[in-house]
Amino acid sequence: MSKARNKKRGKRAKPKRASAVKMSSSAAVTVATNARKPVKERIAAMANVTQAVCEKDNKFQALLKVLRNMNEPIRVRLAALQALQAASFAVVQFESRRADYLATLRAVATDADPELRQRVLGLLAREKDGFAQQRLLEGLQQPGKALLPPEKALQLLSYDIHADAYPVARMIVKSPPNEEAKREALRLLAADASSKPLFERILNDKEETKENRQLSASALQAIAPEAMQTHARELLLDPKEYDDIQATSLTALTQFGTAAKVEKDEELLKRVASLKSAGSNKLKRGARRFLTKYGS
Amino acid sequence: MTVDLQINNSASPRARYLTWAPSPCRIRLTDPSGASTPVVNVTLTGRSGATAGSVVFRKTATGSSSTSLSLQLPIDGASVPFFVLGRFGQPSVSDGDVDIEVRDGTTVIGRLPAMVRIRKNANTLTPAERDRFLSAFAQLNDQGHGRFVDFRNMHTNAGSPQAHGAPGFLPWHRAYLLDLERELQAIDSSVALPYWRFDQAAPNLFTPDFMGVSDQFGTVSFNANNPLQFWVTDGVPGINRRPFFDAATDSASGITEAQTLALGNRYASFEDMEGNPHGFAHTSFGGFISSIPTAARDPLFFLLHANVDRLWAKWQRRFDRFDSTVAASFDSNPSNPIGHNLPDTMWPWNGITGPPRPPTAPGGGLANSPSVKAPGPQPRVQDCLDYQGRIDAAAQLGFDYDDVQLS
Repeated sequence: MSKARNKKRGKRAKPKRASAVKMSSSAAVTVATNARKPVKERIAAMANVTQAVCEKDNKFQALLKVLRNMNEPIRVRLAALQALQAASFAVVQFESRRADYLATLRAVATDADPELRQRVLGLLAREKDGFAQQRLLEGLQQPGKALLPPEKALQLLSYDIHADAYPVARMIVKSPPNEEAKREALRLLAADASSKPLFERILNDKEETKENRQLSASALQAIAPEAMQTHARELLLDPKEYDDIQATSLTALTQFGTAAKVEKDEELLKRVASLKSAGSNKLKRGARRFLTKYGS
Repeated sequence: MTVDLQINNSASPRARYLTWAPSPCRIRLTDPSGASTPVVNVTLTGRSGATAGSVVFRKTATGSSSTSLSLQLPIDGASVPFFVLGRFGQPSVSDGDVDIEVRDGTTVIGRLPAMVRIRKNANTLTPAERDRFLSAFAQLNDQGHGRFVDFRNMHTNAGSPQAHGAPGFLPWHRAYLLDLERELQAIDSSVALPYWRFDQAAPNLFTPDFMGVSDQFGTVSFNANNPLQFWVTDGVPGINRRPFFDAATDSASGITEAQTLALGNRYASFEDMEGNPHGFAHTSFGGFISSIPTAARDPLFFLLHANVDRLWAKWQRRFDRFDSTVAASFDSNPSNPIGHNLPDTMWPWNGITGPPRPPTAPGGGLANSPSVKAPGPQPRVQDCLDYQGRIDAAAQLGFDYDDVQLS
């Protein structure tokens, strides 16, 4: 990247070693964008294109063309995407390329290949791109228009908690198309303090999946830590509770509990001491850590 | 007869941490009873188990080291200086696992526990080392409400030009990691930031007990004992990370360590590593870590960058590039952007906001250390080069890597 820096500044030439690297990077773009070359060779060349992409607009445009071209092998297009994204980390040089890059990403967001769609929509969502957010929301509201499975769309919408996704997330929690979608809808709602009753209900519902209950514990610990500490205590004292949920409760109390309060709770200390000697391995492990912090 | 022994010239137990670089120490007689001469001859040695840390001694900051050191302590209580170093290849595994013992003849007259605290390959940590690191990291995050928020907010699109795409990339991230590591050590002094060697498979890292395992959509899951299950950033719990390689058996994409170190013997060539392997390590995944504005939301980010920093440290050692007055140690150029010149202070620690700096400066000054004084709360780019204090002992930053020697 330093060669590009020097060119931009119009300053001194790079040492000979770096010139050789630069030539190799330009040559790499030539190979990577040559449809007559074997796919494996083109993908290998993508690892060396970063400098040239930053330095020369024609090299950058050539790579964008590969990414856009639906007739190119998908493996080559994915490798081009990775190379462009790696180049984008050099923000100063990449700044003048950024608009074209994002426009190309939007263009391929509706590509026929699901893997490419997913990666591109992910990149756009992390930039809080309005186009991507709109398409993801549309897909959740009208599944016929969906570019991604609902669970992935919800996950990507969680990159921007102002994406107006709460109503659709609540709808999916009530009537989930699958368990993964429900989980991701819950994760998105965890940023919403008004969802506390929902998470309390799920955390205490033994019929819910382990993943959703643990996610609810995490959400509650974030939005209502005192309530979560109370729930964690009750879950630990419940002899019929599942090991995983009790282990999560132990972790919550160990990590985030208030020593002055926990150390006076004889019933809790006694229960954890019993888990240390008679619980499952994961409970024994959690109990050891708890007692190291709070026990005598 | 008793002695007072101070590591890093401090009485604080939080200063009893060593690296491969010499730590200044002092010792004095506090009770000379039984002494028959104006000075008492004592011997210092390190005592530890076979798998624990190990130390060596020096009378002066430079020169050869030895496993024991004889000193003459005046009975008037005057301090005698000496230096202690971690013995390369034998870092500690737990806090205080090496004792510095002081003997008068065969009688032990003083003992002080210390730790050779070194950044290690994350794939080789003991379960206890791993768990201490995770616990401290989860506490720093504190369900999204802790001090980690500042670190998350330092690494965004707004601050990115201060940290990327110019020669200050490596120094800025060195300061960033050091700041985070010191905050972790304020929670648990025994923690050092581990590194992820992204050019090697790391089957012990991508597990439910450590950095978690990803499902097909990139949602990362953890064991119930792993405190990272409570990780929250930007108000949203959890971590999104979808590897495009088999994390259990393969390395990430990008050039190898050997290829990276062969990029050239001048910083102006070596800094190309920002694109590859650094950029390729990031983009070997989908999810948080693959984009600048979200990368720091994933704890793995810091292990990835510890390896980037380690590669720089290795390169520095190979070509002796610690001295900022040597041209090849940095890519100095009058047209470098602000924050990317050796004398520039670095954002956000300098607190400067407004163009050409970013609009806000999260986090305040860089955390201090009980063990070393450098780089101070407002580090300059040049303060990050001599991290082992080779050129100036006072420049030591107080960290080292398990496979990067002092000399």
